[in-house]
Amino acid sequence: MGSISKRIVRLTAAVGLLSATALPTFAATEINVIGFGAGFAWSDLFGASGTEKTQKLLDFEAKYDLVVNMEFADEEVARQKVLLDLVNGTGNYDLVMLGSDGAVQTFSAAGYLEPLDDYLSTATDIFDASKVYQPFLEANTVNGKLWGLPYYSFGAGVVYRKDIFDKYGITSFPETTEGLEQALQTIKEGLAADGVDDVYPLTMRGAPGEEPSLDLSGFVYAYAGYPAWFEGGPTTPDEIKKEKAQPIFTGDFKPGFETFVRWSRDYGPPGIATHTWVDMMNLYAQGKAVVLMPSAINAFAGIPGSEVPEVKEHSAFAPSPVGPSGKAVQSFWTFSVGVSAFSQNKDAAYKVLAFLTSEPVMRDFANSFGWPYTTYPEIMNSPTLTDRWPAEMLSQIEASFSDADPHYFPYIPELVEFMDQIGTAASSSIAGTTSVDESLEDLQGWASERMTRAGYYK
Amino acid sequence: MARKPGETIWSDAGRWLMITLSLVFVLFPIVWLTIASLKTRNAALAVPPELIFTPDFDAYSRIFSGGFLGAFQNSLIIALTNVFLTLLLGVPAAYALTRMRGKVQENLSFWLLSIRMAPLFAVILPLYVLFKSLGLLDTPLAVSMAHLTLTLPLAVWMLVTYFRTIPEDLDQAALLDGANSLQILWLVIIPIARPMLASVAILVFIYSWNEFLLAFILTSRNAQTVPVAVASLAGTMSFDWPLIAAVSVVSMLPALVFVGFAQRHIVSGLGSGAVK
Amino acid sequence: MLTDWRFWFSVPAVLALGVVVLFPTGFLFWMSVSHWILTEPGVYFYGFQNFATLLNSSAFHSAAWVTVSYLVLSTTIMLGLGFAFALALSRPGSPGYLRALIVMPLVIPPVVAGFTWRFLLNGEIGFLGAYLLPAIGLETNLLASPVGALFSVVIADVWSRTPFMFLIFLAALQSIPRDYYEAIRLDGAKRYQEFWLVTLPMMKGAVSVAILFRIIDALNTFELIYVMTKGGPGRATQTFSLLGWKIAFQGFDFGGAAALGVVMVFATTVVALIVFRRFMRSA
Repeated sequence: MGSISKRIVRLTAAVGLLSATALPTFAATEINVIGFGAGFAWSDLFGASGTEKTQKLLDFEAKYDLVVNMEFADEEVARQKVLLDLVNGTGNYDLVMLGSDGAVQTFSAAGYLEPLDDYLSTATDIFDASKVYQPFLEANTVNGKLWGLPYYSFGAGVVYRKDIFDKYGITSFPETTEGLEQALQTIKEGLAADGVDDVYPLTMRGAPGEEPSLDLSGFVYAYAGYPAWFEGGPTTPDEIKKEKAQPIFTGDFKPGFETFVRWSRDYGPPGIATHTWVDMMNLYAQGKAVVLMPSAINAFAGIPGSEVPEVKEHSAFAPSPVGPSGKAVQSFWTFSVGVSAFSQNKDAAYKVLAFLTSEPVMRDFANSFGWPYTTYPEIMNSPTLTDRWPAEMLSQIEASFSDADPHYFPYIPELVEFMDQIGTAASSSIAGTTSVDESLEDLQGWASERMTRAGYYK
Repeated sequence: MARKPGETIWSDAGRWLMITLSLVFVLFPIVWLTIASLKTRNAALAVPPELIFTPDFDAYSRIFSGGFLGAFQNSLIIALTNVFLTLLLGVPAAYALTRMRGKVQENLSFWLLSIRMAPLFAVILPLYVLFKSLGLLDTPLAVSMAHLTLTLPLAVWMLVTYFRTIPEDLDQAALLDGANSLQILWLVIIPIARPMLASVAILVFIYSWNEFLLAFILTSRNAQTVPVAVASLAGTMSFDWPLIAAVSVVSMLPALVFVGFAQRHIVSGLGSGAVK
Repeated sequence: MLTDWRFWFSVPAVLALGVVVLFPTGFLFWMSVSHWILTEPGVYFYGFQNFATLLNSSAFHSAAWVTVSYLVLSTTIMLGLGFAFALALSRPGSPGYLRALIVMPLVIPPVVAGFTWRFLLNGEIGFLGAYLLPAIGLETNLLASPVGALFSVVIADVWSRTPFMFLIFLAALQSIPRDYYEAIRLDGAKRYQEFWLVTLPMMKGAVSVAILFRIIDALNTFELIYVMTKGGPGRATQTFSLLGWKIAFQGFDFGGAAALGVVMVFATTVVALIVFRRFMRSA
């Protein structure tokens, strides 16, 4: 789920400390949490309905004299609510849900978040940053400061149906994008020859909006060999300003974009131009897709509930293929939480944040969902996951974290908007409304205007 | 009712054919939704669908283990308050507009009608600022007031078109009997308009019950409504189709009861009006 | 004097709406001439720059087309269907439960309606899209083709909002005095003449209310489209409403979103004035 993530995050959930602090003598500090995905996010603390409190949470509350109230909401609108709170400085929410593909970059630039670097040492008994996979922290680092702690997070990979690969004579999963495209073609021809018309060689996501951008940017990176959004590949506002680096969406950005679109059209399901991670997951779980990539976690989200025996028995993991540049296709994301700059009680807010991303909480997440993804190496290498998954797979997934370049797209405040425009351009081209060149021309024009208006080229 | 002259068997058949087709179109998704709520996740997505299956009430039990009932209470309070405020403000206003003449009437009419021209995405921020400064955030009253921007113009305009059909002679007659204008409204106009008031109340109730965005933005813990709760359980990131379906089925029950109840009033009253 | 007294009855409503509407609208106009983008901290006067940026963007032009097509298509179908339902069910003797059944979609929140239709029309696992339509020889994937997606969204919206039209028309039909029909029938009018000479003229007011509320509704339709297509494929179903959300909540540009809001206010007011002049005055 590349996005449960996305969804969740984009989401922006937030945690708030109510001002009960005014009555410290008899009332515990109240903490309001607004989140997405009841029954998914923090179900070990708030139950499957998102409205209960488990013993574990009650223990935490008692120990630190806090009360945590969870408010689950729809992700899209919850983001607006948080935004309204921040824009007006209302300060209801002390902890804000972020995502490493936009919200961290935008909110930190707007001055809405509190840098966490100095807090890390204040509650090491709850959260110890040195025990977390470092790339997940890096993904939440903008301008050298840490703005969020990672909850649910993932790296790139491929999940595929080994039985179908075997059937069409492909005995090992291709290591390059070129090899993979040949394999997809072979499978496509094989399926057609066998008269199978409801199984597709590939499932990815091509819905308009930010949905495809995380994966698509990974293709661009693999084909160009660098984050090819601006001339020379700068990834920070300062670098872009210094070099006056212009957008290159019609330049080095194009090969990766073009490949993503071509694969989607040629090997994907007919509805792919509107598919989100949910469709991606459902198709795979229904046994209707052979390869799911590069956000492999979406397949792991679908496999447990699948009632197609072959999906459960013959799904295999492979590292994300390497593009012509020698770099692998990326898809890297963390759903993180940060402290609002308007918080009245930042120390207590940080304590809750530390708890929400702590090892015991992540372990419960791993236990209840069983996906081979976690933010702690200790959990990755413990029976929680090693009992469920082959050791080789777990080490490949671990490698997908350590080999990742979290900054495979630029960390600029305008990122959310760019992700939206890029995804929409891809959707247009996949649907055939506009050609790849037309989409990229449009994107290039929009980006030049946007960057100029934002004062990058003064 | 006896067949009117000129009415043929054919037109009756055509009418029933149309009604049947419409019902299929209208009801199919609802029936499908209800069936999906009783299936397991995978069965709900299966093609072709299984027509015979063992109902699974898991989704329903999950809803009721959550705090869904509080949301029902909030929605009911907000929607009923809104119906009350809308009728309280709207009925006299509509009556006034019907009996007024000239430019003032025309301008006022247009203004009342066009007041909600600004799209929601553009007024959310201003509304938030407004209710924050009034200290009304997270109260049912704030939501009811915000809903007035949708429901009051609607009610006024439905009532204006209806009041126009009530002859002004009735007013004059009551006036001669010594009634003041408030009494005329209360004793003459409202009794005649009762069926219309019922259908206006239904629409207003449904609007308020269903409205999602304002209800969400203006409330947090204390005044969460049903659509907000539905969206939180079955929002854009959910992949649990039976749960979405079950939540939807449950959320439409109260509104259905209300519609069914008010429906009787329309049936009994409309068409026979006092306007003979 | 009676008339003067009754005039004051409208004051409470005007005042209430004044508070809840005038302030936000004034605020909106102020935002539209302000530079207010989260990514560039600091709010200041920006003249008509927001409007210039908006009107020059390709997204605005495509959204204008989509919005107009969506509005015209959905309004036409809804008016026709709503009127037909109301005519069919307004006769005495029509069972009340039929009316209640027709109204059912109205109580389903648009977000759920969107989910339902999206799953029904889905080309890979949907009952209609993957099973029924192919079975009768329609193989196109509705949601993934630009025209098909617009059509799908309209169908879902028609399903969800026609009952609203139905109720307005039903109420209006019921309030037409019976003796008008009797009078014209005595003059020897045929049935279709009754319709043209009595029903339709008497429905003018209701039709204009229905059209105006439809316009406002359509311009505000967000959840339904968002859930079904996210405005796609590409921008094929990205209406002003979706574009406005994107500008405000993806671009974090409140000034830009407000400019679009102001453009929509003017456009809607012009349309409303035309409808108003055409139908209301004479009614």
